[in-house]
Amino acid sequence: MSSLKQLQDLIQEKYKIDPATLDPNASMLDQGIDSLALAEFLFDIEEHFGIEFPDARADVNSLAGLARLIDELKTSPAA
Amino acid sequence: MVAITGIGVVSPHGDDHEAMFAALMRGESAIREFTGGLPNARPAAVASAAFQASDWFTPLQLAGVDRVSQIAVAAAPKAMADAGATGLYEPARIGIYVGCGMGGGGSLEAGYSSGLRSGRVPPLTIPAFMPNAPASHIAMRLKATGPVLTYSVACASSAVALGEAAKAIRGGEVDMAVAGGSEALLVPGVVKAWQAMQTLSVFEPGQAASSCRPFAAERSGFALGEGAAFLILESTERARARGAHRYAELAGWGLSCDATHLTKPDAAGQQAAIRNALAVAGLQARDIGYCNAHGTATRIGDIVESEALNAAWGADIDRLRVSSTKSMHGHLLGAAGALEAVIAVLALQKRQLPPNAFCATPDPACRLNLVWEAGAAAPDLNAAISNSFAFGGTNAVLVFQCA
Repeated sequence: MSSLKQLQDLIQEKYKIDPATLDPNASMLDQGIDSLALAEFLFDIEEHFGIEFPDARADVNSLAGLARLIDELKTSPAA
Repeated sequence: MVAITGIGVVSPHGDDHEAMFAALMRGESAIREFTGGLPNARPAAVASAAFQASDWFTPLQLAGVDRVSQIAVAAAPKAMADAGATGLYEPARIGIYVGCGMGGGGSLEAGYSSGLRSGRVPPLTIPAFMPNAPASHIAMRLKATGPVLTYSVACASSAVALGEAAKAIRGGEVDMAVAGGSEALLVPGVVKAWQAMQTLSVFEPGQAASSCRPFAAERSGFALGEGAAFLILESTERARARGAHRYAELAGWGLSCDATHLTKPDAAGQQAAIRNALAVAGLQARDIGYCNAHGTATRIGDIVESEALNAAWGADIDRLRVSSTKSMHGHLLGAAGALEAVIAVLALQKRQLPPNAFCATPDPACRLNLVWEAGAAAPDLNAAISNSFAFGGTNAVLVFQCA
């Protein structure tokens, strides 16, 4: 399953938000997910994928951007 | 004069304050056994509040919102709606006064446990835990932009909050005050900490419900309770002018500190708070017909409170009927003063006294006219007090008078 699909499933499961209503390329902050909820969501993503976002990249806040970052981190664990 | 025009609760006896009072009048205990899922845990007696977060929050809104704030956000708007005051006052003229002893203890416990286990602490642990979060969540929900304050004075927290709110109303600082308290600490670590202090009731299996026995010879401590209770305060003139229903007047408030010991209560300090509250109300001890006691059912606490009441009432002590409703709803700690204020106000309004439950054999060292019977009527009742005495030595007493 692609990382994006997994993120969309997580959003659906955790926040009951239909993925079809979220533009994966737009900022989640602009789509009603506030900064606190986003911080919590990023933590849950790290747990789910067993990764840790580097501080410099934690500003990625669109679902598609996050999915790309996750794929990058998964293929290069040293990053 | 300060009028009480609205009540909202999320309590161990439900979220309808009328049904809650009726259950208390019947002497029904909401206390049960709790082990928190820990292996080999000694069961504790607790009273939890049934609450559906989804009735008040979307999943997205729940990010970083501890249960202590969730139940506060449920109870405060209920009080506002009960007062018929939703949207009535300018936001800047509304104050929020909240008592809370330990904040989001559940979130702190979960965050620390996670951190110690895996090295990772959830990022919203701090905003979920901070003790002023309940007040802030209420302010956001009610769009109140005046003073939004939190009083953390252990078991006197919400009685202090009510007294400070009454002062703000009397001084014209705000037009309406949402005042009360919230506490939600029924998580394993906190319960074990209270057990370790030897303050919680001891009971045989299956006997948790009747294990908190204030003023009884065989008492052994209290049951931890959770819940939130809020009252709406307005000036009596303003409440009259808008034709609001007034449950009662908050006529007096008194504070003192024992300044003797961190946890041991002191009759002289308690008596000072009682006298201060009566003086603000302009009443004599003999004018008060009912006391909702602090009554935590600890060995020393009940005796000291009895001494303080006897000292303040003197020869009139038998005119004062006394009950500790903690016997049925447990000790809500920072929210106790507010829930017990609600109960005292409803007792006054209905002229009915909730019982001092499960006190089969009163301790002869506590010479008080206890409300031993369920369903007691008090047709001549005109004023009542509620006592809240805190670890730390702070004593808070509230006086209520018929509207």
